[in-house]
Amino acid sequence: MPETQTPATTRPLRLGVAGPVGVGKSSLIATVCRALADELEIGVITNDIYTDEDARFLRSAGVLDPERIRAVETGACPHTAIRDDVTANLLAAEDLAADFAPLDLVVIESGGDNLTATFSPALVDAQIFVLDVAGGGDVARKGGPGIGRADLLVVNKTDLAPHVGVDVERMVADASTARDGRAVVALSRTDPASVAALRGWLLGVLAEYRAGTHVAHDPGPMAPHFHADEDGGILHSHADGDTAHEHHGQHAHDEQHEPARAPGRG
Amino acid sequence: MTTPQRAPAAPAPATVAMLLADARLPGGGHAHSAGLEPALLGGLPAAQVPAWMVGRATTVSLVEAGTAVVAARLLGAPAGPPPGAVDAVVRAWSARTPSGALRDAARLLGRGYLRVARTLWPHHPAVAALSGAGGRGVRDAPPRAVVLGAVAAATGLPPADVVRLTVYDDAQTAASALLKLEPSDPLTAARWVLDACAAAEPHVDRVAACRTPEDVPASGAPQTEGWAEAHALENEKRLFRA
Ligand SMILES: Nc1nc2c(ncn2[C@@H]2O[C@H](COP(=O)(O)OP(=O)(O)OP(=O)(O)O)[C@@H](O)[C@H]2O)c(=O)[nH]1
Ligand SMILES: [Mg+2]
Repeated sequence: MPETQTPATTRPLRLGVAGPVGVGKSSLIATVCRALADELEIGVITNDIYTDEDARFLRSAGVLDPERIRAVETGACPHTAIRDDVTANLLAAEDLAADFAPLDLVVIESGGDNLTATFSPALVDAQIFVLDVAGGGDVARKGGPGIGRADLLVVNKTDLAPHVGVDVERMVADASTARDGRAVVALSRTDPASVAALRGWLLGVLAEYRAGTHVAHDPGPMAPHFHADEDGGILHSHADGDTAHEHHGQHAHDEQHEPARAPGRG
Repeated sequence: MTTPQRAPAAPAPATVAMLLADARLPGGGHAHSAGLEPALLGGLPAAQVPAWMVGRATTVSLVEAGTAVVAARLLGAPAGPPPGAVDAVVRAWSARTPSGALRDAARLLGRGYLRVARTLWPHHPAVAALSGAGGRGVRDAPPRAVVLGAVAAATGLPPADVVRLTVYDDAQTAASALLKLEPSDPLTAARWVLDACAAAEPHVDRVAACRTPEDVPASGAPQTEGWAEAHALENEKRLFRA
């Protein structure tokens, strides 16, 4: 495990925000900053593909001292930067923590990539995966590591639901099923009750983290997928040490499935 | 020469070299282009990239390589590094790396490498000797070449391999960035990596023989420095840190 400069419970909580392009990750971070500005000292790191678009958006939102918003370069591989080689993000997080000590929270926005991009627990203590209603009501059912196992799934832009013909309650129910009951928040920045729910979730995680009872989970690089065989098949993921099960009908994963692409370097 | 007693289960130095040269090692290198993005933004025609790679392999890469070789010798000294040794090497390197943007980028890489070194060889005195030499602010961290020297001292990597590793890593970093910036056949870029390494080969012995900070080659590439400075001010179209 990479070393950290300060003991785990005194360094700021590192929170990842991932999800496909345009679902509202930067806006959600701005909302969080606004909702918690009076209580928490916050820093933000962005992982743009073309560097500082997100950082500039957040700076111009005026919710945080612009100095507290830093962009890291990702070498055109935003998923590598949050998963396979988190060095640049870790160093930026350490610098923010040192420059603005004591910070409570460092939020890291992933470069909008694909459905499979999730943060490594070597980088973040907890992560939010964001979807929006405009992506369609059935996205939540499609699963994937972020949708299935991020600490929180946000179904964003619920104010748009009537316009895109999505039943939010249904989408949230589908998501909850896909997540075995893990937390889901239906969010719109124009709906104060939903913002309060997000805020409450975050403060809860922070309290657990400070108490030393929060455990960082890895949502894993691959979507869980179904193995059909004569015994009825098994549903499994490749994360969490679940690799030792028997594959009755021997096959190469890559060939027979069309799972979400495992994040590689690219 | 720099072969310390290694624990029985230690890997061969050549294996360590392979690990360090492998882009999959998480040290932060994937966000760097070894000067290629600055060069292309500065107007270098893509067709001249192979010549530019040869140029780097025989100039700035040798400064980095010599710095690493000297750092390894001083940090690996049997009686421990002489007082001020790290600072002296860093000063020699800084004087040969006029661009502040490049020095910052190299220190950032140094911090990433230091994480690797502290995790993999936490107890070796050569690695421990770098504590206090940075790791906090970007500007205080030792540059990557110095950290590589510490790793070389910790693992018994011979000086000639340190030179070849440095040249190879620089060329391969540029080649892999090229695939993002000017997409082409990846094997063409691999050819250019080999050509750049071959061009550096006549210099390997000389650089591997460096013993003191004064010995570090002073072969600069001023246009590279200028491009790096301009690139550091560029916020719109940057994929890579440097
Ligand atoms: N209607 C509505 N629009 C929203 C909401 N949140 C964000 N948006 C809009 O969605 C668009 C994308 O928002 P961003 O916050 O930039 O999304 P992002 O996920 O950070 O985008 P990338 O970083 O490019 O992947 C913008 O036009 C936002 O104004 C919301 O709650 N309701
Ligand atoms: Mg964004």
